[in-house]
Amino acid sequence: MKRRGSFWREAVVILAVSAVAAAASNLLAGPERKLRWIGSYAESGPAPAAKAPARPVSSAPSAAVTPSAGDGKEFPPHPDKAWVEISGDEVTALHARGNVLFLDARRSSVYRDGHIPGSRSMSVWEADIDDKVRQLFSEGRDQSAPVVVYCTGGDCEDSHMLGQKLYFVGFDNVLVYKDGFPDWQKRGHPVTKGDTP
Amino acid sequence: MSGPLSSSSWLTIRVQFILAAVFVVAGFSKIVDPPGFAHQLHNYQLVPGIAINAMALVLPWIEVVCGLALFFGIARRSSTRILGVLLVVFVIALGINLLRGHPIDCSCFSTATVEKTEAERLRDMKWAIARDVGLLLLVAQSLSASRREERV
Repeated sequence: MKRRGSFWREAVVILAVSAVAAAASNLLAGPERKLRWIGSYAESGPAPAAKAPARPVSSAPSAAVTPSAGDGKEFPPHPDKAWVEISGDEVTALHARGNVLFLDARRSSVYRDGHIPGSRSMSVWEADIDDKVRQLFSEGRDQSAPVVVYCTGGDCEDSHMLGQKLYFVGFDNVLVYKDGFPDWQKRGHPVTKGDTP
Repeated sequence: MSGPLSSSSWLTIRVQFILAAVFVVAGFSKIVDPPGFAHQLHNYQLVPGIAINAMALVLPWIEVVCGLALFFGIARRSSTRILGVLLVVFVIALGINLLRGHPIDCSCFSTATVEKTEAERLRDMKWAIARDVGLLLLVAQSLSASRREERV
């Protein structure tokens, strides 16, 4: 009985020391290593589409302008779905337009090693993701214009999670690059290195 | 676990050193990249989204604190028992994903996402379970030896 009591006492001390160390380590961590204590991934998942959530009132222009280009393909908004997946050919055509927003959902260290030219880093796993989404929202962009998000393709869900976050702040034309950055490289398209788009 | 081997202090010291080293290394590999570990935890599809980050922050430190305690001979028995519980949890988590055919990176010693085929991932998961069971045997030896020490 005495030994059992001592185990629980020591276990509590070990857990407390671990929690304090974790808090201190997180406090001192840089933005790439920092993590919010409460996760916000509950809404993410492998579902191909989400039901339309209650949207925040947007002060941004919301005119549904569907950009079209020489490729002829239209990408209309899809307010009933958080995101739709598109192929590498479609991504290539959208990138060629030059006016489509590209977002890289991979970790920023991976982004630095190489990303699609013009794309902005927005890792869903880093602590500043909500700030970045808010900033994007406050830029007053047309929320019905196509936004391409990508990660590493395959079973990577980061781009879908980012799509979900964008959908919840009002972006209703998020296009997920299904095969992601590896496909972009495989196609021999240019790659930009470094922290800037 | 009984007999001379389970209580040999020569063996017990080495077993505890191995456990300490394994968990300190495993813990530090996750401490350096909490977002990466949170990502891997999410892939297990077992932890509620709201708890993933807290778990990703604290769990590696529990591994390191227990490993260091074991190394320095502080609260050895309690540290070993906690490590044993962690190993059982790891085996169950990997086992559940293996049973449902969901290939994941174990994230035991690295949080980096490595490009692998599904078959390779499933094979690596089996190896990770085998390794954890081996570590559980070391935990059993260490607990058995310390129980004998207390009796003497």
